[in-house]
Amino acid sequence: MATFVTVSLKLLEGFGTTFFIFLITLLLAIPLGLPIALCSMSRFQPLRWLSRGFVWIIRGTPLMLQVIIVFYGPDLIGMPTSLPRMSAVVVAFVINYAAYFSEIYRGGIESIPKGQYEAGQVLGLRKGQIFFRITFLQVIKRIIPPMSNEIITLVKDTSLARIIAVRELIMEASTFIKTQALLWPLFYSGAFYLLFCGLLTILFNRLEKRLDYIKV
Amino acid sequence: MQNILEVQHLAKRFGSSEVLNDISFSLAKGEVVSIIGSSGSGKTTLLRCLNFLEQPDAGRILVSGETLFDAEDPSTKLDRSLRHKRLHFGLVFQSFHLFPQYTAKRNITLAMVLHAKERPNYRAEKREILAEIDARAEALLAEVGLSEKAALYPYQLSGGQQQRVAIARALALNPEILCFDEPTSALDPELSAEVLATIRRLADTGRTMILVTHEMSFARQVSSRVLFMADGRIHEQGTPEEIFGAPKSPRLQSFLANA
Repeated sequence: MATFVTVSLKLLEGFGTTFFIFLITLLLAIPLGLPIALCSMSRFQPLRWLSRGFVWIIRGTPLMLQVIIVFYGPDLIGMPTSLPRMSAVVVAFVINYAAYFSEIYRGGIESIPKGQYEAGQVLGLRKGQIFFRITFLQVIKRIIPPMSNEIITLVKDTSLARIIAVRELIMEASTFIKTQALLWPLFYSGAFYLLFCGLLTILFNRLEKRLDYIKV
Repeated sequence: MQNILEVQHLAKRFGSSEVLNDISFSLAKGEVVSIIGSSGSGKTTLLRCLNFLEQPDAGRILVSGETLFDAEDPSTKLDRSLRHKRLHFGLVFQSFHLFPQYTAKRNITLAMVLHAKERPNYRAEKREILAEIDARAEALLAEVGLSEKAALYPYQLSGGQQQRVAIARALALNPEILCFDEPTSALDPELSAEVLATIRRLADTGRTMILVTHEMSFARQVSSRVLFMADGRIHEQGTPEEIFGAPKSPRLQSFLANA
């Protein structure tokens, strides 16, 4: 019983780190995805290729490798200071998820019928007004399902942080193998992910219901 | 009588196909002009050019004597001035294009509110201005016979009701010229009737309108003039009696025979 409590507390500590990575990544990647999406749709070709090339590289390589590159990369090319571990993880995660989000945004924006823009145009509205007052909420409605999918993936991707020894949930759990020859804490850690993802699922379902009145 | 709209030698091509070719016509205040013709004859493109959704390759568009567009004069093509030019015209689309996230009333007030925010006195007189806009929306809903549907979302309305809300939305900014692009083509006959009745009432109150339509009998009843378009040109024009009663060209005769 005493071990169970010790393990639980330790795992909770690891989950705190996991949650921190999750939250910061979300808070930064969600807004950052928008300019990337807009660049990917730009009429100015160099910008469009730059943005799409960036998305190609980020989506085409493993996140684990990206974490390693952000952490060890600066040192390798002779830059004076490398980032603290946690910052390196956050930087890599934000870049990675912003790229994925941008593609979801782009799909959502491009799926809005042209007539919605034109209806706004003939009413003499500005581009910004049309975007924020007419298409924005319709885009939100359309991207909630793919976004929830991606966000739930993020919960589990946080476990990649241990590659540079950031003590997130899995790392805390696997420590017990070495120190006390206990394997079950690792299995137990799965419950934390499961519970958290269940909570997110409920949250997203509610959000979807709230926007049910928009039929697009 | 002063012409409210003057279209001179308008031309538009998409790639190698000439969609509009030397289109010239004018419109007097209070006139209702119907444009008929088979699909692909350029009717819709003409309306889109008038509403600045397409840029013509040649020609001029004048409203109340002011040149809004001149293909020869780049200063009339600036994006900046476009939104104000559009306000001379209203456009009702074939498939309504109501904003799905807003109620019927909000669909009507949205543009009014956004334009009001640009007025210098908006902050000071916000309450009065918004009350005024709300009253105007109520009046417009009453005008299209949908007062009791104000709080409903587009998906809760029938196609005919949606189109009537779209008409009220187009009227909200009080455009000088109201354009209809096949407003009943997406509706079954029963629902078409209520939309056509609404358009007829607008015609009776002296609204200046351009109506692209396939409803020949309606065009005949409601129009002061009819343009028949074919291959991007105005092939024949005249009063409804002339066009429907005594069509001159074989092209129009065969079109009417098949319509």
